[in-house]
Amino acid sequence: MTVPLEDLLKMKPEEIVTHNERPTADQLRNKTQTYYEDVAVGMELPKYIYSPTPTHLFRWSAAIENFHRIHYDLDFGVNHDKNPSILVHGSWKQSVVPQYLKDFTLPKGWPWKAAFEHRAMLVPGDTLIVWATVTNKYEKEGMGFIEMDLGMKTQDGVESMPGSATVVLPLKGGKDIPYPFVPPKD
Amino acid sequence: MTQEAQETQSVLTPEVKAMIGVEGELVESWGTVDVEYLRRFTQAVMDPDPRYWDVDFAKTTHYGEVIVPPIMVSYMTGRIRPDQDDAITKAFQENPMSDGIGNVERPGALPEIPTHLVRTLNAGNEIEIFQYPSIGDVIFFQNRYHDIRERVGRDGKAFLIITREVTYTNQNKAVLCITRQSSIRR
Repeated sequence: MTVPLEDLLKMKPEEIVTHNERPTADQLRNKTQTYYEDVAVGMELPKYIYSPTPTHLFRWSAAIENFHRIHYDLDFGVNHDKNPSILVHGSWKQSVVPQYLKDFTLPKGWPWKAAFEHRAMLVPGDTLIVWATVTNKYEKEGMGFIEMDLGMKTQDGVESMPGSATVVLPLKGGKDIPYPFVPPKD
Repeated sequence: MTQEAQETQSVLTPEVKAMIGVEGELVESWGTVDVEYLRRFTQAVMDPDPRYWDVDFAKTTHYGEVIVPPIMVSYMTGRIRPDQDDAITKAFQENPMSDGIGNVERPGALPEIPTHLVRTLNAGNEIEIFQYPSIGDVIFFQNRYHDIRERVGRDGKAFLIITREVTYTNQNKAVLCITRQSSIRR
């Protein structure tokens, strides 16, 4: 059972990280299907907790060939751009979202779509909590659609990436979600 | 147009409206989707899913092969081709205090919006996912002005919300994912 976001935000960062639910490779390999019927409005998804360091940021910059100095050059970021430190990449944040939705829908659901905004600046030393809460569910064309609010909060409760998403889950005893995914007709 | 916008000077001119739907050229990204880029990306985003690296396991999954995060291929569009000038050296020659990005010309870029508004702020991102890329895929992308809307700020001045859409396809013309980025132009 995931710890409610409200309770996590009452904890100190060193305690928050002990509630990280990012799955291991073996947990992803053996993930059992969450069905549409298993999900209720108001349900909170597992919390993914991150503690980014300058090295994590550098690794991300290198992986995607993002040369923007605000992400790895502390002197430039602080003295030239007047940022509080080097900054966590928006591109990393938005790449975590599809991963989070994929993990929830595995092995046969589909992480269809997400929308979000980038608000607060995040820096090394922050403890980041990826969260989502189910807001609506409906069936269409034999598939189960789950709508949710999501975001990435800091240890202080600042929402850095408010957004929403829709994922698709199979119905118990229902058909497979088509792959490649074909969205339902309006 | 909103009533507020009618009372102030509209920035959604016919020339600006005419940009909705304008597409950039279809561009082939440099290189192919390969296991080494996949390793670097998934380690940097901290996703240990064996569907990304365990070939035997991946064959038993719903997808029947190693899969690739769709958003990963979106960063291939920023690659500097080896037959281009060294963009980083050029950026620092032009400006010793370059932010590391400089004024690098990107292939497939859209024409500028004909507006006097110059200040740009990120207003949000969307991603819609249809299919996982495969190892060996060649990635094509195409920019398009998806939407341009006018709003009026608290200061009574009109501004634009410009949504740029990028469609990513593979060598079989299958749509892998669509990203949209909205920016505020004040």
